[in-house]
Amino acid sequence: MPCKHYKEALIEAAASGAAPSGELRLHFGECASCREAFAQEQFLFSAIDSDRHAAANAEVPASLVPRVRARLEETIAPRLGWMQPLVLASACVALAFAVFLMARPHHAAPEEVAKQGPVMVPAPTAPKTNANPEKISPSGSQIGALRVNHFQVASSNREVLVPPDEREGLAHLVATLNERRDFAVALRAQRPEKKDGLVTVDPLQISDIEIKPLEGTETETSDGAGETH
Amino acid sequence: MQELVLSQPVSTVRSELVREAARADAQREFEERLAECGPLAYRVARSVLRNTADAEDVAQEALLRAYKGFERLRDRTHFRGWLVRISFRLALDKLRSGKRREQRDTLWSQPAHLPPPLTAEDVVASNQFQNHLERALDGLPEKFRLVLLLSAMEGYTVEEIAAMIGVPLGTVKSRIFLARKKLAEKLRCHANTIKRR
Repeated sequence: MPCKHYKEALIEAAASGAAPSGELRLHFGECASCREAFAQEQFLFSAIDSDRHAAANAEVPASLVPRVRARLEETIAPRLGWMQPLVLASACVALAFAVFLMARPHHAAPEEVAKQGPVMVPAPTAPKTNANPEKISPSGSQIGALRVNHFQVASSNREVLVPPDEREGLAHLVATLNERRDFAVALRAQRPEKKDGLVTVDPLQISDIEIKPLEGTETETSDGAGETH
Repeated sequence: MQELVLSQPVSTVRSELVREAARADAQREFEERLAECGPLAYRVARSVLRNTADAEDVAQEALLRAYKGFERLRDRTHFRGWLVRISFRLALDKLRSGKRREQRDTLWSQPAHLPPPLTAEDVVASNQFQNHLERALDGLPEKFRLVLLLSAMEGYTVEEIAAMIGVPLGTVKSRIFLARKKLAEKLRCHANTIKRR
C-alpha cells in the first residue's frame, strides 16, 4: 500500500508520463511500497496505451478504398444518368426557342418604334410617263421632310427615310399621288404663312342653372336665425 | 418581358452547367482525399468497434456520407475532422445497436446461462484485460473518448488533433490526461489480469 500522502501524486505522475518530482523521487528512495505502487501505475498506463495503440493503428484492409470508389461510382452514375437528359432537354428547348425568335417576323411595339430612328427604305420611283416628275415626287413639302441628306446611299434610286410603321402609308400616298395629280399639286402648294399671335379664346357660354326641388323630400327654409322649419 | 422569356432557359442551362462543373471539381477533390482519409475513417471505426468487418462497413458509410456533403463543406481544410466525427458517430451507433441486438438475442433466443457464440476474431481478442478496457472506454464521455482515440493513432500530434477537431491545444491535453486517469481508476482493480497476459 502506498503512503496516503503520496498516493495521488504518484498516480498523477504516472498518468502524465512525466518523471516524478524531486520530493516524490526522494520519497521513492525511502519508501519501497510507494516505489512499487508507482511502478504498478506506470505498468497499468502502458498497458492501456499499448492496447489503444494496437486498436487505433490496425492495418487498413486493401479493399477499403476500391470498395468505396465502387460505391461512389454507383452513387454518381444514377445521378448523372438523371441529370444528362435534363440538361440535354433544356438545351434543346433553349435552342428551339432561339430559332423561333430569330425566324418569326418582328412586330415592334409602339414604344419601341418611338425609340427607333427612321429606317431607310427605297422610295418608289416615279413612272417614266410622267412629264414632270417633281410634281409627284415624294420630295415635296411634306414627304421631303423625311429625307435625311447626310446618309450616303449606294443605290441610284432616290430614297427616303421612313419609320417602319409608316412605310405602308407612304407607299399608299405615292400611289395616290401618281393617280391624282390635283392632290399632288395641292400638297405642293405653299401654305399661307401665319404669323404667331396671341390665341384668343371666346368666353364660355353657360346657360342659367335651373334649380328644382327633389320629389318626395321635405323643403327646408332657413329664417336666418339658425332655426329650420 | 420578351427578353426575360428568351434569357431564362439559357441562364438555367448555364447555371446547371456551372453546378455540374463545380460538382465534378468536388468529386475530383474528394477522390484525391479518399486515399489519405480512408484509412483514418477506418481506424476511428476500428478503435471503437474492435472488429474489422464492421469497421470497414462503417468507414465506407462515413466516406459516402462525407462525399454527399462534400460540396456543402465551406472550409475544406476541416475535412479530416469532419470525417473523423462522422466515422466516430457511426461507429458508436453501430456499437450501441449491436449491443442492443445482442441483449435482445440473449433475452429471447438463448438461455441466460449460456454465453453468446464466439467468432474466430472474438477468440483471438478474448483477453480479460481487453474486455475490461473496452467496458471502461464505453463509460467515458464521447469527447474524452474521441481525443484519446486520435492520440493513440500514429502520425497525429496533439496540435494536429486540436486543429482537426477544432478545440484548443490545452483542452486536448487535459482531455487526454483526464481520460487516461479515468481509465486507470476503472482498471486498477483488474491490474492483476495484466500480469497474466
